[in-house]
Amino acid sequence: MERLAVNRLRERLPLDGPTIDRFLERFGCPIVEGERATFLYRGDVDEVWVRHRVVGLPDPLPLKRIGDSDLWSVTTVLPEGSRVEYQIEIRKGEHYERFNDPLNPRLAHSPMGSSSVCAAIGYRVPEWVGFDPEARQGTLVDLQVRSKALRRDQPVQIYLPARFNRAQRYPLLVVHDGTDYLEFAAMKTVLDNLIHRLDVDPVVAVFVPPRDRLKEYPNHAPHARFIARELVPLLTEQLPLIDTPEARCLMGSSFGGVASLSTAVRYPGFFGSLMLQSASLVFTDIGFDHGGGPAFDPVVKFVNRFREKPSAVVDRLFMSCGVYEPLITPNRSMVPVFRHTGMTVRYTESRDGHNWENWRDRLGDGLAWLFPGPQKFVYE
Amino acid sequence: MPTTILLGPQRFTTTVGSTVRALGVAGRIAMVNSGWEERESDDGELAGHLDGRGVNLRLHHRMMDVLTKDRHFAAAAIAFRDRMDELRAFYGIRLQAAIDAVHAVAHRTSIHAVGPVAEEAALEAVREVDRWYAAELDELYRSVRATAPLDESGTIGWHRGEIGAVLDECEAVVIAGGNVRTLLRTLRVFDVELRPEQSVVAWSAGAMALTDEVVLFHDYTPHGITAAEVHDRGLGRLPGVVALPHAKRRLRLDDHERMSVLARRFADHRLLLLDDGAVVRFADGATDLPAGARVLDRTGHVSVVGAS
Repeated sequence: MERLAVNRLRERLPLDGPTIDRFLERFGCPIVEGERATFLYRGDVDEVWVRHRVVGLPDPLPLKRIGDSDLWSVTTVLPEGSRVEYQIEIRKGEHYERFNDPLNPRLAHSPMGSSSVCAAIGYRVPEWVGFDPEARQGTLVDLQVRSKALRRDQPVQIYLPARFNRAQRYPLLVVHDGTDYLEFAAMKTVLDNLIHRLDVDPVVAVFVPPRDRLKEYPNHAPHARFIARELVPLLTEQLPLIDTPEARCLMGSSFGGVASLSTAVRYPGFFGSLMLQSASLVFTDIGFDHGGGPAFDPVVKFVNRFREKPSAVVDRLFMSCGVYEPLITPNRSMVPVFRHTGMTVRYTESRDGHNWENWRDRLGDGLAWLFPGPQKFVYE
Repeated sequence: MPTTILLGPQRFTTTVGSTVRALGVAGRIAMVNSGWEERESDDGELAGHLDGRGVNLRLHHRMMDVLTKDRHFAAAAIAFRDRMDELRAFYGIRLQAAIDAVHAVAHRTSIHAVGPVAEEAALEAVREVDRWYAAELDELYRSVRATAPLDESGTIGWHRGEIGAVLDECEAVVIAGGNVRTLLRTLRVFDVELRPEQSVVAWSAGAMALTDEVVLFHDYTPHGITAAEVHDRGLGRLPGVVALPHAKRRLRLDDHERMSVLARRFADHRLLLLDDGAVVRFADGATDLPAGARVLDRTGHVSVVGAS
């Protein structure tokens, strides 16, 4: 195996500014070589770390100065297909600062802000993520739903697929954290493309944002009542939807996954399928010391109760989780629990973390499994 | 006597123009491309291949017109589609389980010669599921004919009259690919009958529509029912043939066990592979496969008709 670029650079000590300039211009940052990634930072600081949330790697991951230069580096393993979001943290005297990698233009965005992205060998953004001029576009319609359960007007956005026709009937997908899925997982574009490619049946999707997420998503009766007894009946009345459980799906990520599952548990048999992405399915086997903080208390109570008496609340369940996120263990643990109830479970893992681009990248597999497209009918 | 020619897909290897010219057709040519659905009117390229002699029957456009103007038919059509979707869902569940059983039986080691018997019985169970679906579909058609007879729709009758008049003037018909469900539905609603003297050139979904057994297949479909599914009856001009367009792209042809199950399942039919460049000519009203046609045989291998 060829020696790492940064090790070849070390042979040229002492390093002057122009040498480092040329090195950075040639290799960029991070440098991905085989299954190794080298992170770099350049600056007059006392300490530098890569901050990430990859389970299994030290966090913070310290960089070391190369010789007496102002270039710092650390090399870590990065298996094929991996995708890692990270930031750089520096210390200068008593001053600490954290920011995106100034040497890496590649960013990912989320409601919490942006992060730098390191993509390993073999990772590719799915081709159905970007805008496709060939794909006919669906439309998003704003709607205010008066909710007695939530005691407020709840805004939602309804996705109507291209060629929407009231003489047709459509399945319904209810998306928790709807605004974030649209903004950070490009879900409208993804739906447009997957439907255009015949991978996914034309669906109506309703994107529902929370107001108080930490209260409404972990097993909250008013939220479940709103979804099952107000929103879905209203949409079924106003839109040409297939009015059967098999054609109704709830989806969400993280706490949104808990909201999806807990709503299905409160209304068993009303929904036919679930799509849970990195769901926060934290539980304890003994005691209640779950380590997730107060926000997870209702989650753990709910998941513990479900594990005591698991039941088939839907027919089909798609689950995905990143192997680099702390939730990988609870998610893996729940798969046999769900399967034991008789639900059909499709579970996939990715070398990624708890983030929106991971959830975006899994949409193709999940939606095509839940709503198989009409490929079998088309012979051009 | 009329000639029927099935072609391979026309997207990358376009042979329809030369094929039609070789037929020596002097007059107008009816074009059926309702499988293209809302793109039906984008027929300039196809018309060009027909030297400007093509007349589009516009079956999809006519269907939209009927659905708009005839509320009784529209309601019946929606009800029919809902029931057919439900039937297909149940068929899919039964079929997949039956096919999985065939493969499970085939993989089981047999010391006392029970294996082949069990496999044939499992395959017969698949055929039984297919027969059940076909019978239920027939019943569904009978039911919809009773509640909303197509003959009683003035709008449909008007369109049928126009289509019939156009067809009477045409020497040949070309039927393009696309969505085979839509194509068959429009052919059925408008009772499109090919004239005995008309030659026909068809490809992809159009080729499937000419047979008596339309079978959906896609071994590489990401999800859903992976087994080939009986869909409907076609026009029956080529009985005993199951047309498999895009076979190389859609079938695991190197999985001989899987292909053998497919061929033996439809033992009464010849499974005709229609890949790019294929030209299968049924001259003078013949329905037997001509020499040179590529078929899937009972061993799951591709063979060529007439080859020693």
